[in-house]
Amino acid sequence: MTVQAERANAVSEPRERSEPAQRRASERVGGSGGAQPPGVIFDEVSKFYGEVLGVNRVTLNIPPGITSLVGPNGSGKTTLMNLMTGLIHPDNGQILMRGISPRDPEALMRITGYATQYDTAPRWATGFTFITTGLLLFGYGRVEAEEKAWKALEHLSLTEAANRKVAAYSKGMRQRVRLAQAIAHDPELLVLDEPLNGLDPLVRAETIALFRTWASEGKHVILSSHVLQEVDLISDQVVLIANGMIIAEGTIRAVREEIQDHPSQYLVRCRDASDVASRLFSEDHITEIRLNDDRMGLLVMTRDREQFARALGRIALDGHRIDGVVSADENVDALYEYLIGGE
Amino acid sequence: MAVYKRGYRRYTGPLTGRWTRFLVLPRYAWRRLYQQRLVLLLTILAFVWPLLCTGFIYLTNHVELLQGLDKEFLQFIQVDGRFFSIFMYVQAGFAVFLAALAGPGLIAPDLANNALPLYFSRPLTRWTYALARLTVLAGMLSIVTWVPGLFLFGLQVGLAGGSWFRANWTLGAGMIAGFFIWLLILSLVAMASSAYVRWRVVAAAVSLAFFFILGGIAEMIDNVLRVTWGHIIDPAWTVNRVWCTLLGVAAPRGPGAGASAVALVVMVVLLVVVIERKLRPVEVVS
Repeated sequence: MTVQAERANAVSEPRERSEPAQRRASERVGGSGGAQPPGVIFDEVSKFYGEVLGVNRVTLNIPPGITSLVGPNGSGKTTLMNLMTGLIHPDNGQILMRGISPRDPEALMRITGYATQYDTAPRWATGFTFITTGLLLFGYGRVEAEEKAWKALEHLSLTEAANRKVAAYSKGMRQRVRLAQAIAHDPELLVLDEPLNGLDPLVRAETIALFRTWASEGKHVILSSHVLQEVDLISDQVVLIANGMIIAEGTIRAVREEIQDHPSQYLVRCRDASDVASRLFSEDHITEIRLNDDRMGLLVMTRDREQFARALGRIALDGHRIDGVVSADENVDALYEYLIGGE
Repeated sequence: MAVYKRGYRRYTGPLTGRWTRFLVLPRYAWRRLYQQRLVLLLTILAFVWPLLCTGFIYLTNHVELLQGLDKEFLQFIQVDGRFFSIFMYVQAGFAVFLAALAGPGLIAPDLANNALPLYFSRPLTRWTYALARLTVLAGMLSIVTWVPGLFLFGLQVGLAGGSWFRANWTLGAGMIAGFFIWLLILSLVAMASSAYVRWRVVAAAVSLAFFFILGGIAEMIDNVLRVTWGHIIDPAWTVNRVWCTLLGVAAPRGPGAGASAVALVVMVVLLVVVIERKLRPVEVVS
């Protein structure tokens, strides 16, 4: 069996199992009582560049909210984004972006904002001109385009630099102006390639808050990032991709729950760590326990999260003081390591 | 996960015309082009010949000013097909150099900046983008070609009267059609060189070389094989051959107007294919 075939087999399981998670997510989406906004749907989508694989048989249903595409370089993240924005078309399969086919760019681009990972602004343009020009191409009148451009610059805290040439911007400012052009026409679907690169911590926090606001309005915010801690912090759900194939998708917790090969890891903070460890060792589902050097905590690995929770409850009821329990691998870092990095 | 509410409203306000929206790009491009001194200088120089031609037309229509001159000379100064063809040769030369100056900045910066995804993530197709870039050059070259040509034709009609127009309207139509063909070829060559060569100077050189090298090869074929059909691959020659027919002046020896027109159509198709291959929204791995 080839490595690729092994991977295909290995990855098909989490994808199938993630369907309940998707359904749960969809149910929550519909929970507001209003009509459920249509998702971003990929149905058996494949894209090849000649003989080179872009993405292969991708099936996705991304609900509104913040979704991060995570994968190593060349895994197909940008290809997925280009497919979403209609910049390339699939060789097989169908895509629907909130009910609109990417083959209808006139309709799709009205609702889509795209920020590439490149410094695309012409060097002669000021930040304001750059965004206004884009809006004029959308078909807005000059007055409206200028108002919207100004509003977008305000959102990204760029008003002071609005009339300076983009060529004179710092890396972070160029990143922000890219984001500003993507949001200027108030799209309901944002596709952002590495949007947080080069931003300083303050602007990064502001930008993440902005993503949250858009997501809370029912918009799709689909982004790619290499900074896994960041993905962890901001994403409602993740799509893990490697070698052009979807490895897993869904909320981080749902995906983690479906990874059976790797025991779940918990950090337990307690006074009598040795006693707690000995009690836990009697449980079948516990595979490993490591005591902290300070004897005030332990790292527990379990194959069954629910049984572990019950066991811990019993231990606490028996008088052992448990100060805290934190999942050590319910994050994108761990998912990446388990599903992509380990192979 | 948050419970999402549809808190946004899609834009329902008025939009500008779908078919004129692409003119946003040329507007900015023209402004920047005329900020280049060399382009401005060459454009101003290109008006010298039309000004001299204006004087010529004025003189031919005021014979009283020419009394006492040689009769043969008086027969020579006529506003006819030959006059317009000479006017067109000179202006076409300026157009070549202006295209070489302005052309490299058309597509190369967008490719260098990876800006095509940005354009195409607007309601803008590849063809409207190409049309916008073509309009930049065609618009700029129009100012030094058919626009002054039309002015001269109008001046001649104004001075010579309606009878001259009825007898010679084909000259005006031929001149405009001829310039359009030339502008199309020049613009496509400039766009193609801009799409493939990112260095402005080299792209300008490639633009010029296209005409000179093909002209040279055509001459070689004709001289080595002792034929005249070699001119068919020379874009300047074929355009000139079509002009001669449009203006009704004596044509040079070689392939006819029909064959030249077909050769030009083939050239246009090839150039469009060359441009189409490069104008991709994303880099394609091969």
